[in-house]
Amino acid sequence: MNKKIKFRVNGKKVEAEVPTNRLLIDYLRYDLGLTGTKEGCSVGVCGACTVLMDGDMITSCLTLAVMVDGHDITTVEGLAKNGELNPVQKSFIQYGGFQCGICTPGQVVAATALLKENPKPNEEEIKDWMMGNLCRCTGYYKIIESIEKAHQFAK
Amino acid sequence: MIPFEYRTPKNLKEVNATLQEFGSDAKLIAGGTALVIMMKQRLVRPSCLVSLRSVRGLNAIELKNGGISIGGLATHREVEGSSLIRRRLPMLAETYHHVATLRIRNMATVGGGLAHADPNQDPPPSLIALSATIKATSVNGSRMIPLDEFFKDYYESVLAQDEIITEVMVPKLAPNTGAAYIKFLPRTADDYATVSAAAVLTLDKTKKTIADVRIALGSVGVTPIRATAAEAVLRGQPLKADGFAEAGEKAKEAVDPVSDFRGSAAYRPSRAGKSPGGHSSAIES
Amino acid sequence: MKFSQTAQIPVAREPLWNFLMDVPKVAKSLPGVESVSKIDDTTYEGALAVRVGPIKLNLQGKIILEEQNKDAWRAALRAEAKDRMAAGAVNGKTSMTLKELGANETELLVETDVNILGKIGEFGQPIIRKKADAMLKEFVENIKKQLTGK
Repeated sequence: MNKKIKFRVNGKKVEAEVPTNRLLIDYLRYDLGLTGTKEGCSVGVCGACTVLMDGDMITSCLTLAVMVDGHDITTVEGLAKNGELNPVQKSFIQYGGFQCGICTPGQVVAATALLKENPKPNEEEIKDWMMGNLCRCTGYYKIIESIEKAHQFAK
Repeated sequence: MIPFEYRTPKNLKEVNATLQEFGSDAKLIAGGTALVIMMKQRLVRPSCLVSLRSVRGLNAIELKNGGISIGGLATHREVEGSSLIRRRLPMLAETYHHVATLRIRNMATVGGGLAHADPNQDPPPSLIALSATIKATSVNGSRMIPLDEFFKDYYESVLAQDEIITEVMVPKLAPNTGAAYIKFLPRTADDYATVSAAAVLTLDKTKKTIADVRIALGSVGVTPIRATAAEAVLRGQPLKADGFAEAGEKAKEAVDPVSDFRGSAAYRPSRAGKSPGGHSSAIES
Repeated sequence: MKFSQTAQIPVAREPLWNFLMDVPKVAKSLPGVESVSKIDDTTYEGALAVRVGPIKLNLQGKIILEEQNKDAWRAALRAEAKDRMAAGAVNGKTSMTLKELGANETELLVETDVNILGKIGEFGQPIIRKKADAMLKEFVENIKKQLTGK
């Protein structure tokens, strides 16, 4: 069973007919080719599939594609503007906020949402916000440091 | 997931019409964070999802008759961030802050969470301790249900299939009242509790005697449980540590836990007994 | 998961034993059993519907009578069932022992060792013990009705 939806992804209009049982993550990855968003746990715990809906973080693995009808979705591909990485992305590179990289798109999207609400978060605020973004490599120190210092890259 | 119809009614009348059309195979969906998992696992297989996401005017958080009215479609995040709730009932804002992660709280709704009736959730004990009442609406009108009479069994409530939680009413706290919610966690901060406890305690004018108290526990049975025997031990008594110890023993008797990977049935009563004591310090401070 | 349950039934041991050895009859007294048919003397096929909140399981499988020892008033059976749609299965062993308490009073001891596999297990493991208690209670009521007419 299909349903027509209209929404924006990274600023671009999308009009499509999607199967009602298509998950947002699968729609983004397989139908739109936006493979930056990763699937980790599939049950809304690990944060790898984080995308923004109207600026708020959601888990794309628990969201049906039909549920984003009328909304604005931002994926990791939409963070850079005119070929320039956003401050969080630059900071993750500068301060080594990743190792294997699978959790990184989710981390970067989540941290971008944090900085929008709180441009200079302290360590506690970062930990509270980033709690649902799991990383199995870094031990989190580098991720926290990257977020803490991301404001340096803001213009 | 098994294919299904997806409908987006714009108001309650249309919601009801769609529910009538599909009968008992239809499921209401709001944030979907709990339901979609069950559907992915094929544990729930609705023929139609009736989305409440396009229904307007059910997410307000406002003062009403001195208490606070929370729309059924308000998200957990909206409750947590509401300046009104933070000011008047900081314990409730904190409780909703404890639910899962921000991602989930951005989607999950207050009404949807309660209707899911999972005994391990955070908000029910707090809302029960706060004497909250829910408004359930269907074509036949609305009824008010005190939350301590709402949960029936594991994942079951007294809601009829066509009823929607449109509002949660939390009455104004009496003077000299403190409220606290505590959650014992097995693993990570975003998990369900091993045991959780909420208490709302009111002192009399002298501020030395307990005029009234309501205690509710989560994750200790097939529904959230109100520890009425523990409340009775404390009511009318002076504010003293041994009273809380005795109430803790009574709280242990009230529970009927189930074992799962977050703690065995044998372990949970010991945690439940600890909670009122923990609360006393939270209230006094 | 292992658990044991007991129930007192106001029926003499002999007629209760005879009743319990009649698998299709017993099955009809079990809440949720939708069908049972005999394959051979010790094997039966059946379907059971279980409902927990929004979750409906349709279990289909086999019951194998493994022990029937009237001298010891003990019987044991094994059940294997799968849900048609959800990824999951239930395998279990149950033994029943009858103890004479009086001329018209028998104690039924049920010992169960059950494994719930897959997604059903993740969700259902915590609750199975409580559901089993509710089922036994209803089962005993049904037996009483059938054997004593009350």
